Amino acid sequence: MSDASDTPDLPGPPPEPEPPEGKPGSRIGVDSWVAEADERRTRGRGPLGLLGAGWEWSPDSLKLLAFVGIAASLPFWFLKSEGDLFNFGLFTLIFVGLGLGLQVVVGLAGLLDLGYVAFYGIGAYAYALLSSGYYGHHWPAEATLPIAMGAAVIPAAILGFAARRLLGDYLAIVTLFFAQAFLVFTNVTNPTLFGKGFTGGANGIPNLDPLTFFGYKLTSTKQLYFFLLIVVALIAAAIYLANQSRIGRAWRASREDPLAAEVMSVPVNRLKILAFIFGSAVAGLLGAIYAAISTATVSTNFNIGVLIILYAIVILGGFGSIAGVFVGAIVINVSFEFLEPQTDYPSFKRWLFYGLIIFVVARLKPWYRAGVILAGAAAFGFVVHALVAATAGDAWTSGLTVSGAGWITHWVVIPQGGHGNFRNYLYIGLVLAVLLVASLKGWWRTIALAPTLYLTAVVWENVLVENPAVTALILFGVMLIVLMAVRPQGLLGTARVEIV
Amino acid sequence: MHHLLVFNIIDQIRSLGWGGAFSLLRNGIVLGSLYSLIALGYTMVYGILKLLNFAHGDVFMVGTFLGYGVLIAFGGALAPVIPIVPLILLMFAASMAGSGVLGVAIERFAYRPLRNAPRIAPLISALGVAFFLENSAQLLTNSAHELYNGYALGGKNGNFGPLLNPVFSVAGNPVTVVMVIVVLTAIALMAALVALVYRTKLGKAMRATAFDREAASMMGIDTDRVISTTFFIGSVLAGAAGVMYGLYLGDAYFFIGFLFGLKAFTAAVVGGIGSLPGAMLGGVLIGVVEAFATGYAGGQWSEIVIFGILILFLLVRPTGLLGSHAIQKV
Amino acid sequence: MAEPPQALLELKGLSMSFGGLKVIDQLDLTVNEREIVSVIGPNGAGKTTLFNLITGIYRPDSGEILLEGGSLVGLPPYKITRRGVARTFQTLRLFLNMSVIENVMASQYGRTKVDIVRAMLRTPGMRREEREIRRFAEEKLSFFGQRLMGYRWNQPAYSLSYANRRRLEIARAMATGAKILLLDEPAAGMNPVETHEITELIGQLRDDGGFTILLIEHDMHVVEGISDRVVALDHGVKISEGSFEQVATDPRVVEAYLGTKATTTK
Repeated sequence: MSDASDTPDLPGPPPEPEPPEGKPGSRIGVDSWVAEADERRTRGRGPLGLLGAGWEWSPDSLKLLAFVGIAASLPFWFLKSEGDLFNFGLFTLIFVGLGLGLQVVVGLAGLLDLGYVAFYGIGAYAYALLSSGYYGHHWPAEATLPIAMGAAVIPAAILGFAARRLLGDYLAIVTLFFAQAFLVFTNVTNPTLFGKGFTGGANGIPNLDPLTFFGYKLTSTKQLYFFLLIVVALIAAAIYLANQSRIGRAWRASREDPLAAEVMSVPVNRLKILAFIFGSAVAGLLGAIYAAISTATVSTNFNIGVLIILYAIVILGGFGSIAGVFVGAIVINVSFEFLEPQTDYPSFKRWLFYGLIIFVVARLKPWYRAGVILAGAAAFGFVVHALVAATAGDAWTSGLTVSGAGWITHWVVIPQGGHGNFRNYLYIGLVLAVLLVASLKGWWRTIALAPTLYLTAVVWENVLVENPAVTALILFGVMLIVLMAVRPQGLLGTARVEIV
Repeated sequence: MHHLLVFNIIDQIRSLGWGGAFSLLRNGIVLGSLYSLIALGYTMVYGILKLLNFAHGDVFMVGTFLGYGVLIAFGGALAPVIPIVPLILLMFAASMAGSGVLGVAIERFAYRPLRNAPRIAPLISALGVAFFLENSAQLLTNSAHELYNGYALGGKNGNFGPLLNPVFSVAGNPVTVVMVIVVLTAIALMAALVALVYRTKLGKAMRATAFDREAASMMGIDTDRVISTTFFIGSVLAGAAGVMYGLYLGDAYFFIGFLFGLKAFTAAVVGGIGSLPGAMLGGVLIGVVEAFATGYAGGQWSEIVIFGILILFLLVRPTGLLGSHAIQKV
Repeated sequence: MAEPPQALLELKGLSMSFGGLKVIDQLDLTVNEREIVSVIGPNGAGKTTLFNLITGIYRPDSGEILLEGGSLVGLPPYKITRRGVARTFQTLRLFLNMSVIENVMASQYGRTKVDIVRAMLRTPGMRREEREIRRFAEEKLSFFGQRLMGYRWNQPAYSLSYANRRRLEIARAMATGAKILLLDEPAAGMNPVETHEITELIGQLRDDGGFTILLIEHDMHVVEGISDRVVALDHGVKISEGSFEQVATDPRVVEAYLGTKATTTK
């Protein structure tokens, strides 16, 4: 009666060592002690670790309550201005809500839904058509919000049914095309119905009614913020409860191993379509709310860029993690707002950028390697700058940074007026340098990193700062690639084991 | 008052007549040849890795820019400094080589580290690559439509060049040199690909890897190298399609990769994903459908019609025209 | 026996081929209620294909599969499991990132009813059913003594040892509420002690659990120890059937395993 010779031939944490002999009772105790010790070992130390442990041990309802409590207090001490509350508060909450819906589809059911933004858009257009002067229907929100959800659910059900036999891969392409067809339909096709372009074409539909529930209008940003907070908290709770039920277990089982789940009495395809529809309903609801908040709906708000942002949120937070969506949405929306061209925080952007680089480099081990890299990058910069200043014309070093921070012009080469294709060569050079660093190992990588970091700074100052909107999207794209390679479970997701 | 769309279509069919129908068919076949070339890249990668390579359309887009770069380096279409035949050949060479290298790099850095990751990981990485390429192109080109001006190649003082000379005409609808080049090049490349896959040792290794990667590697096949080669070949075809797109349809633009890729992808699915002849057939089918939809219903409907075809196929014949059911291994 | 044994599972003229290769050929097989039937045969004899056919993963080219007289052919796998057939996999297919108890709770999907709306509202009925699911899961896990008990419930399935994974697969199949369990090489990769243990356990599954068992096994100690009846397959054809002694000494079986004509000596 011994477990000692069990052969752990599969990946994952090694199973706890089991003593060969002993009374059954005591052996169980020993095992659980080992398991607990393991858990203690993996937990971080210091105040952050303690906080993490506290978070780990508190019940989930408390976590949600803590979030709602903190979020509800924000308008009174942090996001005092209407503009800040609108940009940071409202949009973060919308992203949380959208991320939660997407988490059900992608994280729990394991479906790659690339048409998610279209369902979001359908909700928005449903609200716009029914609660605005466009067709003269001024229906109240208690009627339009459910209709918006229904309008998103119907096409979702049809798509899910069409792709049911090969859900995994075909759903991705079908939904991606659906998203594109939706954009074309609203933006270009715009068929004439009831004497008017149905979707308003490129101009969209303006002048939407504010959200009105049973005659009570939500107009101020604060009212909208609290309303959204309640909606998002309810969505989070609903998804959490669904996940803890037989439906949630079936979703996760079908994600883990669809065939085994099917043989264990789970109708896998039906459940996947259910998740897909559920996610679409959430998207439709938030689309309607978003339309009401922004008082207009335009098809470009539902393009593939938004989709990538949502994926970045879900993936950053971690597949299958509900709390992760909150973290991801806050990180992504705040960084996105800072990178928006119309938000004028140029020096903050710069600090954020350099701070992030130093933070990432400083995590390298051993510590002196990080030191060598940073010192090397700084020295490399001064040498290059001196060489360029000495050999090339004045025009090569006399360009100005986008904002202040004059010291940077003594380190980073900024030519006046871009010098033809110089910027493009810089950018392509940086991409190549990063690929080179990625394929080198050991000290070679350290040596290559220093000039690459300098090149990153040059590209940032010359190219990226000038095009913050595109930069944000490029960075999200890069983030998806890097996260998948380095930490596919995201920030809060747990490492998953899969046998392929 | 507007007529119903259906009546519009019937009017349109009447007014265009047989000649119009021929010109639409012609446009469809030329466009479809390009879709086929790109669809081959999707279908090859899917066959070997079971990966929807969303970045493939953007490799094609980079190809259009590479061809454009060579064209501009030699003076542009309006004032080329070398004769146009070597110029066009150079454009093809640069675009095909550059796209091929790009494809290999994408595989090496974005997909290879995820060989044993959960299935959704490389898909998301592919989205990231597509997004990165698209927005990088937007950044580098300032969202400009870079015109090939292919019509003027070889013409004097900006007049029409030989590319637009008719080879033959049907009911007054000319089939021009550039159209013939596109179709013949596509056919030649596809024939070369089929020969490679079914006649060479490399092709045998590719088919073995597609069938069972693990078993193939146990049989001494360097599967990583086979996969790299597959990406290279697929991307080379996309690069060739890129130059032909520029010459035939006129411009390089950062967003075309997404749209064109999406339709080519649909072509691969409609043809039966994983099947080479399916991709070719699907490409031409989608091209012709798009041309007729554009001609009869208007360009604003073409993508919606193609989407409808995709849904229809998935409902009626989910394995596509030439695809077959694979046996599930348990 | 006082009353004639009742056929629980009946295969009639079952055939299946991949391409031109016949994997199962005109197979007839009956498993009676509360019987343990072992299927043996060399590798590639079609044993796992047989399981895949019964559980609906493959569809037979021809023939009938009857469970308590009702046909299973053409039903999707999840419906077949609901009718009362559950299986384990030769190449373990647990839900690795779910906890041990969740694995056993997940497989009860087919015998429970609460829908998503009631789940999100936590209605009293939902809580009641959830408690019942948990109780049932714990009951099935307790079948394995202390092996899958206590703190292990909340550990992810990937942390289990190989033998415990095999046990968990059996528990998961039991929890579907099936009448007949198809066990695909339950003793594979186990040492002699564990093999002995699993043999006893399979006996208990029938005696205490009330299950009927169809077993694929290479380890003849297991087969000999518990089988009421043994069926030998070769190239998809049933070449022998009967008690273990009868089958083991059947010259055709010896021939199939050894690959030589045992009867003809020159």
